[in-house]
Amino acid sequence: MTTTSDPWIDILDDETRALLAARKPRPTGGKSPVLIAVDLYDLVYDGGNRPVVELMDDYPASCGEYAWGALPATIELFNQTRAAGIPIIHVNYDTRAETDPWNIHPTNRKRRQKNLGLYSIKSELAALEGETIIYKKRASAFFGTPLCAFLNEMQVDSVYMIGESTSGCLRASVVEAWSFGYPVSVIADASFDRYPLNHKVSLLDMHLKYATVIDVATATREMRSSKPVHEVA
Amino acid sequence: MRSFEDYCWSDILTDDMTRIYSAYHRQRAISSRPALVVVHPENGFTAVAQPEWPKEVERIAAIARKNGTPVVHSRRNTDDRLHVRIAPEDFTCARPCESAFFFSDLERVLTRQKVNGVIVVGAPASGAVRATAAEAKSYGYRTAIAEDATGDESSLLRKVALFDVAHKYADVMSADEVIEFLQAGKGTAS
Repeated sequence: MTTTSDPWIDILDDETRALLAARKPRPTGGKSPVLIAVDLYDLVYDGGNRPVVELMDDYPASCGEYAWGALPATIELFNQTRAAGIPIIHVNYDTRAETDPWNIHPTNRKRRQKNLGLYSIKSELAALEGETIIYKKRASAFFGTPLCAFLNEMQVDSVYMIGESTSGCLRASVVEAWSFGYPVSVIADASFDRYPLNHKVSLLDMHLKYATVIDVATATREMRSSKPVHEVA
Repeated sequence: MRSFEDYCWSDILTDDMTRIYSAYHRQRAISSRPALVVVHPENGFTAVAQPEWPKEVERIAAIARKNGTPVVHSRRNTDDRLHVRIAPEDFTCARPCESAFFFSDLERVLTRQKVNGVIVVGAPASGAVRATAAEAKSYGYRTAIAEDATGDESSLLRKVALFDVAHKYADVMSADEVIEFLQAGKGTAS
């Protein structure tokens, strides 16, 4: 996807069109935003840039072509975010064995992939020196993590959110960011899922209920004009 | 019990979708000591999809009360018109955000009632019900949704929401199937 002004355009019906028409705009793009990148680890790129259905047997957790398709836009977004002086907070899964001896999983997906080394952030998107990585155990980046405290200490007033899966961990994180009171912008072309329908419907749902869905180009324009100031109190 | 994908979303399923999400297929059940969590929609909510949802909630709640399963109502605003009756022995928690758990005393009520699972019903399926089911899973509860006891403003949003939640977080089943579990001396899963 290169333009994402309306990523849900081809799935709308009369009911959803009416809900969109009744949607009231919500606040976006504050003076001190952060970018929160959820679960961009190797596991979801596993098997390469191929249709997901072809990867299921060997790489059941992969988002295949959708992960790889979002990669150039995500790299561009990271470049622009850093150039604008806006912090990037990376969110990853905590794989330390001692944190989960009972094998308690955040979703009901069968774990066929035993290589925990695949839960490292994709090298092109790796955290730079000085950037924060939040390690989580459940779907939302906020659940059981210090993320909310960090946003307060950093005096963040709004969040950009990206990552995967749109209908899973990204969405759970967006709902909680909204619940904590932050204006949320979800950047559609830097987010992905395993199947287009679920990706598009979750974007639409979030746009209707919790967030403003934009694209990387719009986020970049906003970031350039926001002149962010991040000071720890 | 109906097959895993034989619910309201079956007409939007594609072969690719079924195959891609097959890693989530599993046995479904209600936990041995569940609570019924009724998510009340906000004022002005109109169910286009499954408008009979409140009747289905009442049907399940009646059985739940009979066998001692706690019924908890999660309400956005206590001034709102009630879609579902609240019995004197039921619990009520405020719902300031989307998920019934967020900034509410629901988790405290569930812990004190010593439940090990939740059955989520109410509206809208693509909003508060979904967020509640996802968070119930995060809190470590075996989670179920009675699909015909959920309504929504959009049929498409409801179908995809229940599909997503059925695969990732919750055991989606019909109200009849939930009632069967409740009547059989509650669930089988621990």
